[in-house]
Amino acid sequence: MALVIDSARNEVRALEQVTNWRGKQVLEIGCGNGRLSLRLARLGAYVQAVDPDARQIRDAQEALPKHLSRRVQYMVGNGEQLAFPSNRFDLVVFSWVL
Amino acid sequence: MAHEGMVHALHEAHRVLKADGLLLDLRPALQHRRVSLVAGKQWQPVGVMREKFIDDRAANRAVARVLRAGLFNCEAVREFDLDRVMDTTADFQAWLDDFIARGKAPSHEWLIKRLERLQRPRRPKLKIVVRGAIMMKVLRKPSGNH
Repeated sequence: MALVIDSARNEVRALEQVTNWRGKQVLEIGCGNGRLSLRLARLGAYVQAVDPDARQIRDAQEALPKHLSRRVQYMVGNGEQLAFPSNRFDLVVFSWVL
Repeated sequence: MAHEGMVHALHEAHRVLKADGLLLDLRPALQHRRVSLVAGKQWQPVGVMREKFIDDRAANRAVARVLRAGLFNCEAVREFDLDRVMDTTADFQAWLDDFIARGKAPSHEWLIKRLERLQRPRRPKLKIVVRGAIMMKVLRKPSGNH
């Protein structure tokens, strides 16, 4: 399917206004195919991205550009039971999850 | 996700966040998406979608609950437009089918028919643009709150 999302980059501008993402440890919950994870990584964040859909995670891993592979990690996971220690992240992003 | 699940997920987010950390809640605002046909700078409105907002209202209640409980402070609420640009009615139908399968919208057969009528092969350069408002809530975990 030919689909372009947010060619005007309004989302990126809104994210940039929230904080300086450079070097931040970010957890993205509900990453889907990783579209937003990549944007956060390009802003300089280190992203752990989880989604309950294993197929989406596989697609996201396959589409992860090599130059961002040290900045983004995808894993199958559920927002209601996170496999991370307490006080681990600077930011948590709920992507269309709630 | 059901209301209790949403509240639980917000508690989990609070747990893994550092003190003073930020939680961003990004999701569609409670506004119907607008569908247009676009060629260059010319926009032709085609219709307004009729989504259901049941989950979104439950999400708002869940966020309000954790704010009342003092888990987070709301620092800002922002809105911006997010466009999805598609080439064909079939692309739009595929996107819509996923939307309908998740119970977010009823059938939009009327809108498909209208698009098919307007986006004839003689106008191949027309793009379908679905414009929706996105709401971004910025919540901060208070320092000294573990």
